Amino acid sequence: MMRRTGLLRSKELVIFLVLVAICGIVTIVNPVFIHPSNIMDIFLMNTVLAIMAFGMLVVILTGGIDVSVGAMVATVTMVVGNFMAHVTGNLFAVFLVGIGTGAILGFLNGLLIAKLRIHAIVVTLGTMSIIYGAMFYITGGEWVTQERIPQNFQQFGRTVFGHIPTVNGGATGLPIQFLFVLLAVAVTWALLRFTMFGRSVFAIGGSRISAERAGFRIDRTVILVYLFEGILVGTAGVVHTSIVRQVDPNAFNGFELQVIAAVVLGGASILGGSGSVLGTVLGVALIAVLNNGLILMRVSSYWQQIIIGLVIILAVSMDIIQKRRTEQRQTRVDVETAEGIQ
Amino acid sequence: MDSASEYVLRMENISKTFPGVKALEGIHIEVRKGEVHALVGENGAGKSTLIKILSGVYQPDDGAHIFFGNEEVRDLTPVEAVRQGIAVIYQDFSLFPNLTVAENIAVSQNIEKKRLFVSWKQMRDQAARTLARLGVDIELDQELGRLSVARQQLVAIARALTYEAQLIVMDEPTSALSRSEVELLFTIMRSLRDSGISILFISHKLDELFAIIDRLTVIRDGRYMGTYPRDDMDNQKLISLMVGRPVEYTVYPKRTCNDPVLEVRNLSKRGNFFDVSFTLHRGEILGVTGLVGAGRTEMVQAIFGMNAPDAGTLFIDGKEVIITSSEDAVRSGIGYVPENRLQEGLVLQQSMGNNLVLVTLDALTNRFGALVAERKNKVVDDGIQMMAIRPADPEMTVSKLSGGNQQRVVLAKWLAKSPKILIVDEPTNGIDVGAKAEIHKILRDLSEAGMGIILVSSELPEILAIADRILVMRRGRIAGEFDGATATQEQLMSKAILGSISEHQE
Repeated sequence: MMRRTGLLRSKELVIFLVLVAICGIVTIVNPVFIHPSNIMDIFLMNTVLAIMAFGMLVVILTGGIDVSVGAMVATVTMVVGNFMAHVTGNLFAVFLVGIGTGAILGFLNGLLIAKLRIHAIVVTLGTMSIIYGAMFYITGGEWVTQERIPQNFQQFGRTVFGHIPTVNGGATGLPIQFLFVLLAVAVTWALLRFTMFGRSVFAIGGSRISAERAGFRIDRTVILVYLFEGILVGTAGVVHTSIVRQVDPNAFNGFELQVIAAVVLGGASILGGSGSVLGTVLGVALIAVLNNGLILMRVSSYWQQIIIGLVIILAVSMDIIQKRRTEQRQTRVDVETAEGIQ
Repeated sequence: MDSASEYVLRMENISKTFPGVKALEGIHIEVRKGEVHALVGENGAGKSTLIKILSGVYQPDDGAHIFFGNEEVRDLTPVEAVRQGIAVIYQDFSLFPNLTVAENIAVSQNIEKKRLFVSWKQMRDQAARTLARLGVDIELDQELGRLSVARQQLVAIARALTYEAQLIVMDEPTSALSRSEVELLFTIMRSLRDSGISILFISHKLDELFAIIDRLTVIRDGRYMGTYPRDDMDNQKLISLMVGRPVEYTVYPKRTCNDPVLEVRNLSKRGNFFDVSFTLHRGEILGVTGLVGAGRTEMVQAIFGMNAPDAGTLFIDGKEVIITSSEDAVRSGIGYVPENRLQEGLVLQQSMGNNLVLVTLDALTNRFGALVAERKNKVVDDGIQMMAIRPADPEMTVSKLSGGNQQRVVLAKWLAKSPKILIVDEPTNGIDVGAKAEIHKILRDLSEAGMGIILVSSELPEILAIADRILVMRRGRIAGEFDGATATQEQLMSKAILGSISEHQE
């Protein structure tokens, strides 16, 4: 049975309550929000964010960060799009190429971070620039237009389960892409929960020195973490292509911030060591609902950016403040005991 | 009993040379099966170096022999030490605050067995069994960081038991515990001993030590001073074995100064220091010593405005001053050379010249706030000349200077401000003897020129060489005051470690 500490549980509960409150407000302003077809829309539009967020969660749990995921996923979509335009639309081959591309990029990030022992934000800022530069140099930044995407892949992307009538008379259903989100949730949860790899992720994030002394192989874990993230980014890239059925190399400019924001809003500590899959699910949902809700409430998209930014700062500062309070409480306990000896 | 003569650990002829320093020389230590053995020595005597050799972190010099049981072990690594049943519990416990108690206890087993998957049930079972063996009750699913220090320590001990530790090394295990927690720890230590586990116990607290140990080994200045059964030892004898490092410095004549420049009254801060009162005079060097963690640095940082006290007053030249920031302190004429000059005293990536003017910038700028080059150059040249900094190149990046020269840059920086009061915290830590002697001379020259100096130092010979008066701090309080001309190392050490017991004896 999964057991959690009070702090984690309450953190996630708070996020959940905020989520419910926002849903309530949006629904009152514009009831279309809770229409099943809008919900399916939200699901579809945020699959890529969700899949990538679980990779980012694992990275952030170790105390790392990866700002190159936007560049990575853009590159995966370009590779996949061109692969389909020039070679084949075979689903298996497409996923293999997409995931392979993401995995290689993630592995390289991990290798640099583990071996050079430079902070992840510096390494991934560098690789972000390199990846974007190389991608645009090789492809010339050309779009892969819809007519160049094979029919079978377009068909795959349109697959939905069930029948849900839309507001304007059409029909939709649960998008097939959502299955990949469920898969990413399940795999990430199981990895973190039941494997020594998962425990080493938490251990390194909690105390790197202790992890070293306990005999965890830190380099290996760090490389695996970024590799895992790369695999999820690769998956997300293929999923994205199946949704929009064309490739725009600029589609993911700044997307890394959304991904990091989802994880942080989901209660993961930016300092590493604490966070959960459930929290990240809620964090993604929060961003998804904010994005969709603000549109339905006809708030300017510039405001959306400002609001999401404010929410992130709020969430991070609450985390840091709470940590400081706990530390202070701890020292006070020590002091009292130390004085007790006198 | 037969097993009493059996040794779980024998270390023979252990030496360790670091570049330029002989940290250990010919140390012996033998720990019997099922005994509590103390390792005793001053700060810097080499205890932690010895422990790091024992745990495989450092390799000893040639000629050393380490036996676990009857087997000699060569090229010991940390992993091998654990496999041989050596568990070192560092002062920080090396636990994971964000994991549960059960995980913290079971983690070593999971790594040792190279498991790929974890079983929560198995972890909780193992943790519950181990805690039961210790006879303590701790909620297994509690996040470790939320436990008290004493309970975290029990978790660390429990973890050591999971890998069948034969010898548990505990570094200052009682330093953060209350009286009743110490009692519980000792009860547990005794029951471990009775079950055949040996404990090597590092502590300064002699009164506690005698309550629990069977034998002790003393090291002084990296040398072996002997192993003694508890019953052959008493406080005075032990202290005389611990101290008495040769004085290799020039001992300056001591002065009596009567013109107060700084008065500290009833300064307190919870958890740092309590009810500290003293007076510093013009032209005097006041030594402040005590064990690491006695609150010395915290106290002087409070005077310098870096560590806000809860209570107390400061008087400078007889007038009450309120200092809430280091800027206030500088304005009131106080200079501070921190212990960790690299972290707090210097901007390492900047040039020597820029570092030298760091605290005098206000005086070097014109009314538009722009730096006046001639004024700056004068301060820089004066500083380099006065402190004989080598190489005398103001453009040199500070990080490239030697440790002794870095220390001089920090001193020169403050001298440009000509403070009335200068606080120096461990000014000669980590620099060679020649450079130490020079720093001593500089401090004496400054005091001759009328500056009042507070010298915080763990090194008793240093304090005795240059301090006119000496305060000893113990557990956050001023435990005693001594005249620099007559004090001895034994007296200072007794005050620093014994407190109440020796007070009764005096």
